[in-house]
Amino acid sequence: MTAGTVFLRAAAQAGYYGLMTQLFGPQVRGGEAAALVQISTAPIECQPDRFDLFVALDWDKVEQFAPEIPLDQSSTIISNPADGAVPASIAKSKARLISLSMNDPGATRLDKALRGKRTNMFATGVVAGLVGLRAENLRIALAQVMVGKNVDVMEANTTALAAGIKAATALELGFKLEPTREMPRWLITGNQAIGLGALRGGVRFVGCYPITPATDLVEWLAPELQKLGGRLALAEDELASINMTLGASYGGVPAMTVTSGPGLSLMVETIGLAVAAEVPAVLIDVMRAGPSTGIPSKTEQSDVNIAIYGSHGDAPRVVLAPMSVGDCMTTAEWAVYLAESLQSPVIVLSDQALGQAQAVVDPGLARPKPLRRRTNGVSPGAQFKRYAIAADPVTPMPRPGSPGYQWVGEGLTHNEVGIPVGGAGAHVAQINKRAKKFDQFEPGEWWGQTWGQGDTAILTFGSSVGPAREAAQRLTGAGRPTRVIGLRVLSPIPRQALAQALKGARRVVVLEQNHGAQLYRHLLGNKAVPVTTESIARPGPLPFRPAEIAAHLA
Amino acid sequence: MNDVTATEAHCVRALAAKDFMSGAHPIWCPGCGDYGVLAGLERALALHGRPPHEVALISGIGCSSRLPAYTNCYGFHGVHGRALAFATGLKLARPDLEVITVGGDGDGYSIGGNHFIHACRRNVDMLYIVMDNRVYGMTKGQPSPTTEPDWDSEIAPGGIGLRPFNPLAVAVASGANFVARAFAGQPDHLAQLVVEGIRWPGFAFIEVLSPCITFRPEQFDWKAKVRHDEAMIQNDRAAAIAATLADDGFNLGVVFKGERAAVTKPSQPIAPLSDIERQFTVGT
Repeated sequence: MTAGTVFLRAAAQAGYYGLMTQLFGPQVRGGEAAALVQISTAPIECQPDRFDLFVALDWDKVEQFAPEIPLDQSSTIISNPADGAVPASIAKSKARLISLSMNDPGATRLDKALRGKRTNMFATGVVAGLVGLRAENLRIALAQVMVGKNVDVMEANTTALAAGIKAATALELGFKLEPTREMPRWLITGNQAIGLGALRGGVRFVGCYPITPATDLVEWLAPELQKLGGRLALAEDELASINMTLGASYGGVPAMTVTSGPGLSLMVETIGLAVAAEVPAVLIDVMRAGPSTGIPSKTEQSDVNIAIYGSHGDAPRVVLAPMSVGDCMTTAEWAVYLAESLQSPVIVLSDQALGQAQAVVDPGLARPKPLRRRTNGVSPGAQFKRYAIAADPVTPMPRPGSPGYQWVGEGLTHNEVGIPVGGAGAHVAQINKRAKKFDQFEPGEWWGQTWGQGDTAILTFGSSVGPAREAAQRLTGAGRPTRVIGLRVLSPIPRQALAQALKGARRVVVLEQNHGAQLYRHLLGNKAVPVTTESIARPGPLPFRPAEIAAHLA
Repeated sequence: MNDVTATEAHCVRALAAKDFMSGAHPIWCPGCGDYGVLAGLERALALHGRPPHEVALISGIGCSSRLPAYTNCYGFHGVHGRALAFATGLKLARPDLEVITVGGDGDGYSIGGNHFIHACRRNVDMLYIVMDNRVYGMTKGQPSPTTEPDWDSEIAPGGIGLRPFNPLAVAVASGANFVARAFAGQPDHLAQLVVEGIRWPGFAFIEVLSPCITFRPEQFDWKAKVRHDEAMIQNDRAAAIAATLADDGFNLGVVFKGERAAVTKPSQPIAPLSDIERQFTVGT
């Protein structure tokens, strides 16, 4: 991963856009891994149909990654001759093979033990040399990635990088990139972008429990929250983390919990509590392949049902999904505003493909307007009714500590004051009050986005938006005009905006990465798409590739 | 026991127990021990001297968990077993509030058992009061974790046959630093312990014997069984665990005090968000 990170960072230094996807074995804790790096002069928002270059640092367990690293006859493989023949899973691509010794032949065993084998930095130098990155870009990138390492290690890696660049001059493979201009950009992962968006939105408390692939999000957040005077609590389980989150939020501090599918399953009861007691809370679900333990380190979009419908009773809430790595920032910030202003749980469905991808993005994306929690507006003198039935279904929730407004948050069916009652009147009135919040909810420009105007519409969300856009561009270029509709708001369905986006579309296809066509059924069941709408739904963990989508639609 | 009649420096207003009553009528059966706990708690809050709006009472599910709405404080009545987690989040986010968690033996020791262990471990500055009647009362009389093994019930004819959970021993073993037992039938003594628990710097746990006259009428005899025991053990956890395992469950008073430091208050902001954003910039 260090090799990929240094290369991507150096390319970003030079002014290229890029995207790095990380592949890990199923065992989560480390071991064999692959870094898939794409570099371009234009923004990259999906994985490609094929890779040009495959550099093998070794062949250990490569077969498990082979389906995720598409190669073909025009690809090139560089490997150490000492590592032996190319395994069948990779060789079957019939890619061109270049043998290149990437180990330092002079290194003793002690050298290797003290300063690492450095094969990865040599390889990074080779790839950088092949695409034409300058040594200066690499030097800066290496210094940034290796910050805190001792001088010996830095020096050894710098030497290996230089040797790699030199070795590349002897190879002429035609991978030189078009020149570009250096531009200030951001290099960020989807998980970091969610964390930053949440901080921008005002989150100052996070309750969490470790779970792949969401752990790196909270590991990034923990020290940053402290710098801002906030706090992260590592809970004993997800039942505790969501309840800690609600506790902090009840105290008036915007709060968030971060998890993946199995954790979300444990939180479902308390989501119902947040709905009934009307407590703001942001829940981030970095989706992974399920059900049960599934494949912890790999992506899938299969938590749509639980996010929208998971709870007993009538428990409406907002469900959002970011459409790109950069959009993770926007969506998370907006999620905080919606939770606070609607006094509701807001679930953000990210996924491993977005969360653990590192992308070069343009800074200065548009930001949603801040919305705050309603804490005042109580008429003086009158008895305070936390759950008053009034014209506005969002009723004031004074901050604990405010004299004269003491209220008890209540998960039992309650009256307007918040006292538990068992009758039909209060039950129906409070259900209607809460439903009204979502009936009235108007997402405005943030509902989602449409790209293109073709009469075929691909309707999708999350990490499938990127490959859908690429497929639509190709189809449009081939004379089959195709538009892409990305939904940022999955629930409540942004009916007006969606109807507008669908106007003129003769063929509508809902694209999602799960077997059960969860989004398709949600939209169709709510009559938000025409009955003739088609579905492309298949499980992860393989990402949708543009060619796959284009072939479906052809 | 310490003298708790003197108020702390920041508790300046003279308050009476009635200042903490909401006026809502409890759902509890006549004779329920929880009335005594409510009375003792209101007296304690008056003695402590912080006004109702600075106090938050957090509870889960069960008869005793209905308590917050019967006071005039801020409060939250959440899901079964998770009150301690909710209270932990609240206290970490709002250290200025007086946070007290209340509930029953089923809520705290069974469905919420994991949170009980970790609240003792975490040592966040709050008080946890468990009203232990050794039965699930709200669901009409099933054996709880503290029920005697031979207690006959519809769901467990002839007795559940399981060794009762010892909350005091578990609390001491899990790292709690203030562990006490009180009796609902002695609300003044209870109030003294509650004030001490509130003022304890860190997690304080008071197990209250609170009889369920409806499903456990034999608990009416508890008032004759309880006795005051001033043999508090300081710091020696092994000795405190041995003492709580050896007693018959009717000794009242502080059982154990430890010296482990409480979770610290959050830090003050030291950097603006723009500083944090700078780490992502690349290029010129």
